[in-house]
Amino acid sequence: MLIEVFGPGCMKCQTMEKHAKEAVEKSGGEHQVVKISDYAAMASRGILSTPALALDGRLKFQGRVASSDEILALLQG
Amino acid sequence: MSDGHARPSIFRRGGWLLLALPLWVFLYAVIQGVSEWLAFHLLGLTPKSHLGDAVAFLAYDTPKVLLLLTLVVFIVTFIQTFVSPNKVREALSKRRPGLGNALASVFGIVTPFCSCSAVPLFIGFLRAGVPLGVTFSFLVAAPMINEVALGMLFAMFGWKIAAIYAGTGVAIAFTSGLILGQLRMERHLESWVQDALNAPSLGELEDEKVTLPVRIDLAVQGVMEIVGKVWPYILAGIAVGAFIHGYVPAIFMASLLGNNHWYSVPVAVLIGVPLYSNAAGVMPIVEALLSKGAALGSTLAFMMAVIGLSLPETIILRKVMRQPLIATFIGVVALGILLVGYLFNAIL
Repeated sequence: MLIEVFGPGCMKCQTMEKHAKEAVEKSGGEHQVVKISDYAAMASRGILSTPALALDGRLKFQGRVASSDEILALLQG
Repeated sequence: MSDGHARPSIFRRGGWLLLALPLWVFLYAVIQGVSEWLAFHLLGLTPKSHLGDAVAFLAYDTPKVLLLLTLVVFIVTFIQTFVSPNKVREALSKRRPGLGNALASVFGIVTPFCSCSAVPLFIGFLRAGVPLGVTFSFLVAAPMINEVALGMLFAMFGWKIAAIYAGTGVAIAFTSGLILGQLRMERHLESWVQDALNAPSLGELEDEKVTLPVRIDLAVQGVMEIVGKVWPYILAGIAVGAFIHGYVPAIFMASLLGNNHWYSVPVAVLIGVPLYSNAAGVMPIVEALLSKGAALGSTLAFMMAVIGLSLPETIILRKVMRQPLIATFIGVVALGILLVGYLFNAIL
């Protein structure tokens, strides 16, 4: 699955990316984590608050840091 | 997806949240007595002496502010789980100036907002057809009327001061957004922003569904995150407050920040702007200022300058706005704060 992490590079956004990578590691599956920090790209995807995380093009979290377990649950669901 | 939130939930892990409230009430009830005992018996300081007053303020205010902050952040974060920027944007798009500005100013109070989100939010609003002036009302209200500050003011000084803070904040946000909208400053947006506004959409993403246990969980998380992050500011604020309380003469305070001199309000704003603190850290200072005879208008201006005109947010917004626009933005907000200060110094 494709995990996109949106965030300009603030502390919370880095934590979110780290959690996403941890979740992928725990799941043992083939998932790709992409960090998007370009404002224009975020804007064109309709992201309003950061950090945000999308899974295969669907917004799952916005405006808060999700734990790696939460992201893992999504990968396994 | 029912197990979308499989994080080991604090709420579900134990029922200690139910114990937390009585514990909170108990602690809140005993801290005054304990602090006085500590300052005047254990340390043997004389009541009404400079050092005694400063230490008693320190020992009482530290747990008091932390306890109040915990409760306020819990309630505020819980309420915020019901308000997403998506919903606010929907409510504001295609609104006329006027009503739009009023709604944006009020939504600005409750919408969860962090300065690192300012840029995506700004562009996202404009893309959805929220007018520039309405977007500005939101951007002024969101940091200036800080929801935690509002809760803390209510808890520490009562509903009147909280209402004055919220009311004047909304008035400033409403008016400055209306003015900025009339000035037709769209051309002063950075060119990449104008490109981003016209870029074809790759498809909007949907909001997540949130259940009650998750809301409570998020509120607990918010408490740990915010209280964990702001306690150094609170300690710094309490130290400054204790110094003012014990050592700064009331006569000096009245002459500097009282309501008899024209310069009190600008002085308050000038002291406030470079002080980078957050809503909770500034409360003990506000408390000490008021108790030492600073006028309400000056104190309000000081507080709004500290919280509302923050340097980090300005730097971030500079990425989307060219110099003339950002200068107008800061100018209009600063003017609003000055007016509020003069108004309340004059009528109270």
